[in-house]
Amino acid sequence: MKKSFSFPIIFMIIITAFFTLILAYLNYVTTDAIAFNEETDLRKTLLYVFDIEVPSEDPKVIEEVFNQYVGKEETGDETIYFIKEGEEITGYAFPVGGTALWGTVQGYVAISEDYSQLLGIDFVSHSETPGLGGRISEDWFKEQFRGLDLTQAQDGQYIIYKPAPGGNVDAIAGATQTSNSVSKFLNEDIFEFINRKGGSR
Amino acid sequence: MAGDSPKKIFKKGIWDDNPIFKQVVGICSALAVTNLMLNSLIMGLGLIFVTAFSELTVSIIRKFTPKHIRMMVQVLIISVYVIIVDIFLKAYYPEMSKALGPYVGLIITNCIIMGRCEGYAQNNPPLNSFLDGIASGLGYTIILLAISFIRELFGFGTIFGYRVLGDWWTNWTIMVMPPAAFFILGVIVWWARSRTTEEEKEGGAIN
Repeated sequence: MKKSFSFPIIFMIIITAFFTLILAYLNYVTTDAIAFNEETDLRKTLLYVFDIEVPSEDPKVIEEVFNQYVGKEETGDETIYFIKEGEEITGYAFPVGGTALWGTVQGYVAISEDYSQLLGIDFVSHSETPGLGGRISEDWFKEQFRGLDLTQAQDGQYIIYKPAPGGNVDAIAGATQTSNSVSKFLNEDIFEFINRKGGSR
Repeated sequence: MAGDSPKKIFKKGIWDDNPIFKQVVGICSALAVTNLMLNSLIMGLGLIFVTAFSELTVSIIRKFTPKHIRMMVQVLIISVYVIIVDIFLKAYYPEMSKALGPYVGLIITNCIIMGRCEGYAQNNPPLNSFLDGIASGLGYTIILLAISFIRELFGFGTIFGYRVLGDWWTNWTIMVMPPAAFFILGVIVWWARSRTTEEEKEGGAIN
């Protein structure tokens, strides 16, 4: 093949356009499915923090249950979810997050409507060591937070690891850094939420 | 060259020229995703798909591709297939996509794909290239599964998520951490090479 100047350029343009077209098409046809998956993930998380049992893993069922119980409220730049039984709001869920050992941890916390009880927590993303800090996303760790009393806390120390005085939750053995970061941002975010929302209380 | 039989191609990809322990390419992902067997399997399948189809495409257009821009073309083709895998997982296997995280996108940096495109597909007919991609990918997947078998068994006491060791088992934290993959990979390379030294002395493979 003779070495021409323009041929490689034209060749590259044609081949790039061809493959980009394929990708654009694939992206177009899957956009809805991907968006739906992401919503399902969020719904699962919120239902979990509110401690609502979902009868099946089917995304459609999850959507149904979610719409039945959970509502959404936009305040400024943050989205807050609430759970209603009948017409009455019984709890709030809000995003929490902070830096841990390896990276950012993000999740949701639900507390009762009168701010007296922690209903549940869940993490949506983290990059902690699997088997160590990564165990924050295991059920035994998250279940400890269910029904935690928030009224006795002093100085915004809602979560204290045992065996410290007033301790109410077990930390993860071998993952002190992660455990401490998690309790730190949980305490801060819960404190901030209650103050902002509750005002005078 | 056109006469490479499928049997020969597979023997080369899986043993004689195994990407991991013979060519020592694709190591980064072998260390990263091998903490669970399921992750390794999906990673392996993704790589088989990308390598096979990239090689096929490169081979089909090899006669028209100007030689001095062939690398650019290869990178373009590889990235297209990687993005297809990424989109596919996100849309139909969101759990898997979450578990593998950024590693799916990083399939593109796996030297095996580029190496095979440049070293094989560039000079061989499409069907052979396609098979070569599957063979190399298989060779890679088998090693990944071997490493992750050991890591998951000792690190979590499970295999493919099923508990096989009882409650008495104390998880070896080191197995979950990246260094464990280094040790196991080292042992595997050592074992494999010690079995093939004589062939190499006779003037065989790459070194």
